[in-house]
Amino acid sequence: MTRKSKNSFFKIFCWLSVSACFGTLIFLFGVIFLNGIPAISLDFITSRSSNFGSEGGILYQIVGSILIVLVAALLSFPLAIGTAIFKSEYLNNRKWKKLSNVLIFGLNGIPSVVFGIFGLILFVNILGFGISWFVGSIILAVMMLPTITLTTFQSINSIPVIYRESSLALGLNKWQTITKVLLPQSFSGAITGLFIGLARAIGETAPIMFIATAFSGVDLPSGIREPVSTLPTHILALAQQATNPAALQNAWGASFVLILLVMLFSTTALVIRKRQLSHQRL
Amino acid sequence: MFALNNNIGKSYVVFSTFISTMIIFLILILLLINSWDAISFSGIELFSIEWAPYKNKYGILSMLYGTLIVTFTALVLSIPLGIATSIFTAEILPHKYRFIVKSLLELLAGIPSIIYGLIGVAFFSIWVQDIFQLQTGRTLLTAGILLSIMVLPTIITLADDALTNIPHKYREASKGLGLYDYEVIKSTLLPIAKSNIIGAILLALGRALGETMAVMLVIGSIDKIPSPIYNLLTSGQTVTSKLGREISETAFGSVHFSALIFMGFVLLLVVICFTLIAQYFSNKTERLYD
Repeated sequence: MTRKSKNSFFKIFCWLSVSACFGTLIFLFGVIFLNGIPAISLDFITSRSSNFGSEGGILYQIVGSILIVLVAALLSFPLAIGTAIFKSEYLNNRKWKKLSNVLIFGLNGIPSVVFGIFGLILFVNILGFGISWFVGSIILAVMMLPTITLTTFQSINSIPVIYRESSLALGLNKWQTITKVLLPQSFSGAITGLFIGLARAIGETAPIMFIATAFSGVDLPSGIREPVSTLPTHILALAQQATNPAALQNAWGASFVLILLVMLFSTTALVIRKRQLSHQRL
Repeated sequence: MFALNNNIGKSYVVFSTFISTMIIFLILILLLINSWDAISFSGIELFSIEWAPYKNKYGILSMLYGTLIVTFTALVLSIPLGIATSIFTAEILPHKYRFIVKSLLELLAGIPSIIYGLIGVAFFSIWVQDIFQLQTGRTLLTAGILLSIMVLPTIITLADDALTNIPHKYREASKGLGLYDYEVIKSTLLPIAKSNIIGAILLALGRALGETMAVMLVIGSIDKIPSPIYNLLTSGQTVTSKLGREISETAFGSVHFSALIFMGFVLLLVVICFTLIAQYFSNKTERLYD
């Protein structure tokens, strides 16, 4: 084989690979949209489910999903900001910086099902919370923590040193420098991280399926110690009765709504980041 | 007053950092404590083949094997595809289209795993069943194919970053020597990006080992090592699918529960190791001359 034909074969292989990836992408979204759109209607998203989810709508699942992830975000955000500030402003030693990175990346790598069994052991059994949506929020908060921490850290850390020096020269102490100078500058970075975290958390099933959700007969929770039903766990329940066409149709409808929520969160993150970047350039 | 605020602020950030960094130890310790019953009950027999709770046999080997073979299948499919795609986006595609093509490919990462599972149940398992004339399409191969799609975005994004970070000088110098694009990529760019690409693959490996929902729905859930051992067209079980299916049906505090937790603990250790090694490779930047 000549050098030239090797080059051509290589390029053809790359083109084929990209086509395969795009084919898969189009197939997946095509399937979700083509099956999902006929399944949804105003009635579907505003009524409660019945007959183990194969009839009725998904109102409570939508509410449950949003409730769990929003509370998780509220729990996670202050911790993540604090950790990011400490990592960027107080931690000077390279060894400790490395160690904190290892621990946070390690947390990020933990399989989602392990978070589920951790929650089951600690909150449901040892602390006796029982199966409740709030436990689910706590676990999702832990899962979002590394994402928010790392994005916030990056945006605080990338602020030039001169801002800190000017602020100290004006007589502000360290904490005032952080709250008055650094945080306002890095806030949109933190919010970006928050929305990336939300987009990931709302699709998670494995961490919450043992500890926060019940599959049927769940209304809106009246307290923090009650289970809810969420979109991912609802899809799981329906996917297991895939031989029933009505159940499958509702599963596609729920998937479509879930994908829309994920995209809503991730585009929000993208828009905030773009705005921040163009702002910085000015 | 200001000094007081300063101290409160500092204690807040120290406290947050303490919590965020200690959670991982808390998880490890809790899992270890709760798997202790199984370790003292079965000992080395935990690493045997038979899993039969009614006979008090808790061998996790067939689940470990399932995890291994499914992950291996996924990587065999996704590594060449992912690296070729990243070479395309980084080196062949004109620069102005790069952002849009990459963003589209990253959409794959946004699909929740449960939806991959649903698509696997509704399409992939039926295709596998029809193509190979099987009784059931819920096989190790189906899980492997699904997983390979799920880890593709990780490999593509990170490998593409690694390639685009290489200064232009290297390409120009190689082309100046009269090399074809293929030779530039093979002999100059890939060796430079090697450690970052290995990092990407290890990260994808960690993801694949821990993936639960999609695998659980399409794998068939039978605790057996396939015979012959490389037969992908039978149902199997991975650690994660076992945990997902069985843990809520077991009583807290029983040996059965404890054996499941032990399995989760082993998985956790393996995944954390791979994630950390991946970190090591990704940070290992050799000096580039720009």
